[in-house]
Amino acid sequence: MSECGWLSDRIPAVALGRAEWTQQEVQHLSECRACQQEWEVVRAASRLGESLVPAADPEATAASVLHRLRRNREAGRRRRGAWGFAGFAAAAAVVAALWTGGTDRQLDRGPEGAPVVAGQLAIPLPELEILQPAELDSVLQMLDEPSAAAASADEPDLRDLNSDELERVLDSWEG
Amino acid sequence: MPGPPKPDTTTDPALVAAYRSGDERAAAELVRRHAGPLGRFLYSLGAEREDLDDLIQETLFRAFRRVESWRGGASFRSWLLAIGSNLLRDQVRKRRGKLVSLEDREIADGADPHADLAAVETGDRVREGLARLPRLQREVFILRAQEGSDYGEIAAVLGTTPGAARVHYHHAVKRLKELVR
Repeated sequence: MSECGWLSDRIPAVALGRAEWTQQEVQHLSECRACQQEWEVVRAASRLGESLVPAADPEATAASVLHRLRRNREAGRRRRGAWGFAGFAAAAAVVAALWTGGTDRQLDRGPEGAPVVAGQLAIPLPELEILQPAELDSVLQMLDEPSAAAASADEPDLRDLNSDELERVLDSWEG
Repeated sequence: MPGPPKPDTTTDPALVAAYRSGDERAAAELVRRHAGPLGRFLYSLGAEREDLDDLIQETLFRAFRRVESWRGGASFRSWLLAIGSNLLRDQVRKRRGKLVSLEDREIADGADPHADLAAVETGDRVREGLARLPRLQREVFILRAQEGSDYGEIAAVLGTTPGAARVHYHHAVKRLKELVR
């Protein structure tokens, strides 16, 4: 490596006060215009913005950053809580739908005992259409009662279940 | 009675570990250590003086928010400076403005007004010259001139190779010498 190359590698450390020139380097620097210019440029760059340092208050910056981090963590917890609630609500809706569907399957059987899919209950089915008003009322009553009971009885327990336990509950309900 | 242990004598990795364990004083100490150099780095890269506080805060906030992504391959400060540099780049891109305004000249304290004036003028020219350099040349040069980082660390932070970092540095020096002459 040339003497200029060697000096070039040393300039940042000397400019930052982490090293000192040797006599030989001082001698070279005094004679080499290119190295003098490099020294001037790097030293100026190493000092850029020095006067800004006292203007920045690290304590205030630290307090502000920590405050934002705390707020961010709290917002994260709230988001997770909201997602957890939404997840629970979705699970509850699925459970309710399955429960209702299961009950419907038991109730809505055709003359040959063929099961009727829960989704089809929204459509006026022939099997239901042949029922008398009193019979329809009694079907409606039977549909309503277990759903309401299931919702109120299961909500607190479902909240405590993990996803595997929920899966097992759903499987047992589906038979 | 002795007070709580002060974290300011610990290393950056120890402070980061303490912060990750929930010690906010460790984060405050890291801010105290690095906010100043971060500000100078951003200023040297062309950040406007009036934007510095916001940039410093945003950089530190982002760094602590994803502090687990700092693996210790480069120093904490270099990692922080890289985040700041990316943030500044995004800001410049959004504004589509000029990187450097030299209207706001800094005056350094010192005993020799003539020498100081010369230093400020050289500093201004260097800063103006830096703004004209390609991004990698600029960042490599500042990391080396202000932080004294070696090429290996610069390469790790900027996603390049040590050899390429060396070339970027020398290109930057060459062009800055031409501009300052």
